[in-house]
Amino acid sequence: MGADYLKQKHILLVDDEPALLALVTSVLEQEGYPFIRTAATAAEALSAARASAPDLAILDVMLPDGNGFDLLVKLRVFTDCPVLFLTARGEEEDRFRGFGLGADDYMVKPFSPRELLYRVAAILRRTYRDEDPFVELSGCRIDLTRAEVIRSGERIPLTAKEYELLSVLSRNSGRIVTIDALCEAVWGDNPYGYENSLMAHIRRIREKIEQDPSHPVSLVTVKGLGYKLIPAKSGQNAS
Amino acid sequence: MKDILRLTRRFAGIMTLSFCLLFAVNILLLSVIVSRQNSNGGPWTIAEETAAAILPLPDGGGFALTPEAEAALQNCGAWAVLIDETTLRTVWQTEDLPPSVPAVYSASSIAGLTRGYIDGYPTFTASCGFGLMVLGFPRESYWKHMWPSWDYQFIAHVPQIFLLFAISNAVVIFLIYLTANYRLLRSIRPIAAGIQTLPAGRPVHIAERGLLSGLAASLNRTSELLKNQQYELRRKETARANWIAGVSHDIRTPLSMVMGHAEQLKEDSILPPAQQKKAAVILRESERIRDLVSNLNLASKLEYNMQPACLKPENVTAIVRQAAADFINADIEEKYPVEWIGAQPAFAYTVMADRELLSRAVMNLFHNCKNHNEDGCTIYVSVEAAGGATDTNSFCRIHGTGSDSLCRIRIEDDGAGLSDEELERLRTASRPIASDSDESGQPHGLGLLLVRQIAEVSGGTVEMDHSNHGGFSVSIMLPLLRVPFSPDADNTPQE
Repeated sequence: MGADYLKQKHILLVDDEPALLALVTSVLEQEGYPFIRTAATAAEALSAARASAPDLAILDVMLPDGNGFDLLVKLRVFTDCPVLFLTARGEEEDRFRGFGLGADDYMVKPFSPRELLYRVAAILRRTYRDEDPFVELSGCRIDLTRAEVIRSGERIPLTAKEYELLSVLSRNSGRIVTIDALCEAVWGDNPYGYENSLMAHIRRIREKIEQDPSHPVSLVTVKGLGYKLIPAKSGQNAS
Repeated sequence: MKDILRLTRRFAGIMTLSFCLLFAVNILLLSVIVSRQNSNGGPWTIAEETAAAILPLPDGGGFALTPEAEAALQNCGAWAVLIDETTLRTVWQTEDLPPSVPAVYSASSIAGLTRGYIDGYPTFTASCGFGLMVLGFPRESYWKHMWPSWDYQFIAHVPQIFLLFAISNAVVIFLIYLTANYRLLRSIRPIAAGIQTLPAGRPVHIAERGLLSGLAASLNRTSELLKNQQYELRRKETARANWIAGVSHDIRTPLSMVMGHAEQLKEDSILPPAQQKKAAVILRESERIRDLVSNLNLASKLEYNMQPACLKPENVTAIVRQAAADFINADIEEKYPVEWIGAQPAFAYTVMADRELLSRAVMNLFHNCKNHNEDGCTIYVSVEAAGGATDTNSFCRIHGTGSDSLCRIRIEDDGAGLSDEELERLRTASRPIASDSDESGQPHGLGLLLVRQIAEVSGGTVEMDHSNHGGFSVSIMLPLLRVPFSPDADNTPQE
């Protein structure tokens, strides 16, 4: 689900419900995240974060000695680590408050552990992309820091728009990104009417990353909806 | 105000009718009286008859009346004289002639008696071959109009004058009515306004004075009562919605545990497949509880207006595509493939909608397909303008139709579907319902009700039908805000 170096990140998990802490810890550990610390109160969380700054914090909003929003403000004093709220409070104003304080994601209970893992992976990938900027695909790898595709030892430069598209797709690799989301990422706030232009850019990207652009395996079309970047399975890269 | 006008109009109508009736009755009465008056022939007629009945005696020595005429004169107590035309002297008279009646006349005295009286006796004349017959009736038997002359113009304008009289009378009577009823109307007006305000749910307070102060007081009490009832109802609704929100909140953490552990067990390869299957059932049912609680919470908030919708122009196509992508991304087992069957490239249909609510409604429809088809099904999605202009890629043609005022979001499947009876029940349901079951044994209801509520928030509707693909089809119809924006179709290379 994610690159190995991301699995080495330290995750701080804060929730007042011990059973939930145990569950999430177990889910993350099974996925291969060995460095999990848990805290049941805001004070414990602060103390743990001060002792060793986490790479990602998963916070509950309702804590016995305060709330997750205040905790985030206090954490921000000494760390910029990404934060995911995992809470039973699903009201719009709560979510807006969370995002307003700089949270990277907001999940409402009850949640699917699989979805949590996807979101954790996405946040880590987004935040720590520079540590390993390569996106491994079947038949090539993409170097996002240099905006290049490396195929059979050859470096093929990406245009600005191709780079934007691949960035969005790689952040959501394995998931469908809608045509609208891609157009918005490339053409901004008024992305209507660029669907055919998007198709043209996708075709050019395929010419760079696919062995047979007419039968794509890494950048596939989901008819009418969008596109999906399929990451290479381990050892599959042919670059 | 309208009612008061209607009241006044009604009065004017009644008044007009009364006038007509009164006029008719009066004419009738007058006719009866006059006919009775004329029943005995009238004095002028008697005079004519008497003049005709005088005959010269054969011996040339005077005149005599026929016995019938004489009897008629005696009957009405009248006397008569016959005046010679040349000598102006009385040449014949009845026996009962009063002594004050002269025997010789001048031209002026004849003009006077023709117009009026002789010594108080009303006299009536008639000419005959022998002179002028003059009849005198008892003093109090007739009143004579002695100077019957009219201005010619007056007679010529009699119809207009009568009309003027009638109108003046009507106006005078209406003014009398208005004056007399002014206070009553003044009292009725605020009460009428108050009664008209009540159904709008606004409080009413009317000054309790005037003719109808009692009625005003009752209306004030009614308004107060309604206000209290509304407050109580609102309080109960808020309490109910808060309670549902509370339950919805409190159930989330325990449900997280159930779902989390169930998912882990389901994927635990150490467990035998039978156990994994049980875990999968627990997970699936937990997800259903999650959706149910979440739908219930949102439905109650929408029903009690506790979640004001934030309506903005939104691109429906983008919302539906995102919901479809999210649904596919979460469908790990790929049991529910989604096929986009709308136009490609798709049009951006703009409607006024709350993005989050509409997204929720579409997602509910996807989950509906999933929940009622456990063995998997293909879900077909389309976004199109209602009115059949969807199969064109031309902006101009779409723009040119001018008849597409709706946007149709259609989610359908090739799954189990519904029977005609169940479909009818769903279509007519206005409240959350739990239909007995569909073919997969799962109740339809709250999820679809929520979809309908959300559609209504945007001024839209929901249509349900059998799908051409074999399963169930639901369409959300939303009013189109403006004509679709076409993709940059023709000058860029197609994929």
